[in-house]
Amino acid sequence: MRLWKFIIIFALLFMFFAALHTGQAQNSAGRISDVQLLARAINGEARGEPYEGQVAVGAVILNRVKDSRFPNSIAGVIYQPGAFTAVSDGQINVPIDPNSTVVKAAQDAINGWDPTYGCVYYWNPETATSKWIWSRQIVTKIGKHYFAK
Amino acid sequence: MEYDEKEYLMENRGRRHVSGHDTQDPGYHARNKAKNVVIAILALTTLFGAYQHHRAVLLRRQLDAQYNRAFYEMTGYVQDIEVLLSKAMLTSSPQKAADIMKDIWHRAELVSTNLGQLPVQQGALVNTQKFISQVGDYAKTITGQNVKGQVMSKEQMDTIKNLHELAVSLNENLDKFHGELSAGAMKWENLAGEGARLFSKADVKVPQSISNIDGTFENMPTLIYDGPYSEHMNNQKALGLSGENISEDQAIENLGKLFGKDNIRNIQKVSDNKNGVIDTYNFRFELAGKKEASIAEADVSVVGGKVVWFLYNRDVGDVELDIDKAKEIGKQFLEKSGFKSMKDTYYTEQQGIATINYAYEQDGVTIYPDLVKVKVALDNGEIVGFESKGYLMSHRERDIPKPAITRDEALQRVARRENILSSGLAIIPTNYGKELFCYEFKGKLDGQDFLVYINAMTGEEEDILLIINSEEGVLTM
Repeated sequence: MRLWKFIIIFALLFMFFAALHTGQAQNSAGRISDVQLLARAINGEARGEPYEGQVAVGAVILNRVKDSRFPNSIAGVIYQPGAFTAVSDGQINVPIDPNSTVVKAAQDAINGWDPTYGCVYYWNPETATSKWIWSRQIVTKIGKHYFAK
Repeated sequence: MEYDEKEYLMENRGRRHVSGHDTQDPGYHARNKAKNVVIAILALTTLFGAYQHHRAVLLRRQLDAQYNRAFYEMTGYVQDIEVLLSKAMLTSSPQKAADIMKDIWHRAELVSTNLGQLPVQQGALVNTQKFISQVGDYAKTITGQNVKGQVMSKEQMDTIKNLHELAVSLNENLDKFHGELSAGAMKWENLAGEGARLFSKADVKVPQSISNIDGTFENMPTLIYDGPYSEHMNNQKALGLSGENISEDQAIENLGKLFGKDNIRNIQKVSDNKNGVIDTYNFRFELAGKKEASIAEADVSVVGGKVVWFLYNRDVGDVELDIDKAKEIGKQFLEKSGFKSMKDTYYTEQQGIATINYAYEQDGVTIYPDLVKVKVALDNGEIVGFESKGYLMSHRERDIPKPAITRDEALQRVARRENILSSGLAIIPTNYGKELFCYEFKGKLDGQDFLVYINAMTGEEEDILLIINSEEGVLTM
């Protein structure tokens, strides 16, 4: 009987403290430049993807900046409500090492590499919940993501 | 046994409390204590729950306030744009028109910023955003011409009239949405399914009032003008690609020619890219002779079989080469790959890799749109990246005319002509797809390097670039 009580009490306390956290890492100090922000977005969206896929995600963000249908700045595109899950689940705030792959991918995207040839949408067919996204014209598939115009 | 009240009271007088339990039971206190602890914790979690709920309500309110602010600001500016478009149809002076157009452009930027803050689903208001971007962009282009004293043409006036009608419809639909918002029939959390997410994974249906707003632009006329959001920018063709469609095997052969057939192992086609601006085959392969797994990726165009880009991501060791050596290596690679007459222009150096830009040179004229980029690893000079889409989109043998003004005449148009150090001829790109033939003057003012481009045919000052020399390389803005 004693053991059960202990378990219940422990479980309640655990839930209490778990509810206090929302799974985000904290921002480190320092100014975030375009490359940093782009790299964080790539990290949140395409961490396990092949290098080409990471550059592609960066390119999609930059293509949106240039497209008339989306906000006109990198921050505006990334933080548009509902646009990127990395923002709603807090992954955008995970600080990244300046020598990491995602930073290189961000730099390549900013320097003009675009494996998507101008796409502005991408999704993972296994996790996408939006039916509308499938109406877009698909240009390529890289890693887990379809890329479309 | 008989219960004698009097006897019971006599026995228990003086006792502080009459416990209802059997004082012989040893587990009673422990159980009681545990019960109290559980009650205490339940009370705590309930309080905690109430506190969190209260906090959530406050945050929701703050968030809604932000969304409301963005919506109200946006609608205000759209109303301004409607009025300004009306005025634009009534003015006869280019100066007043320039003023009005500048205001339209300014308001459009503000609408765009606020629209981008509203919590709508992907795709729900893209046509609205596109309309606003084009209106602002179009107005900006007209300002450019008004400033030179040119009035609007009949065609432009007709376009303004069309845009005005669309702005009126947009305002009507925004007003209807506003009605629902104020009446409480529409809540921001319903819009993007923020509230529904817990139980349903399906698409949240776009509310009618939102699709009405975006539906305003179903029959929007195609706008073609000299601006980056003009429709013609979406239909560009690759001028540098010609010839037959090649097969996959030929594409692999071409890759081999570029990187050495024996260097490429395990090449696999990953996908066919269609519907983009260039159709390509996408390959993944290994580079031979490396210590660890080395995956590289490359795209080869279907038309003409050109390698469009190549990327090989690896860690870079200690830097052994300087940038001049890297530029040479890049140039040799380009010549070997069939890119003749390329001149290096700008470069960046990051994490031991130099990314160098090369532009095509024809008859001494630097042709910037024909751009190729090469990434050189500064530990051993290996080519780790290549990008030629710019070149493939615009390269052709151009018919370059003789400049209409002399170099000295052009120099007179430069504000800081005493600070000019060198000059040349160049063809520069614009952000609306056209090219301009210019004199390129390089100078230095108060320690700041700069470039001024004077149109070689009209003498107009077309562009000014600042050259930033940072530890990351030479950049222009």
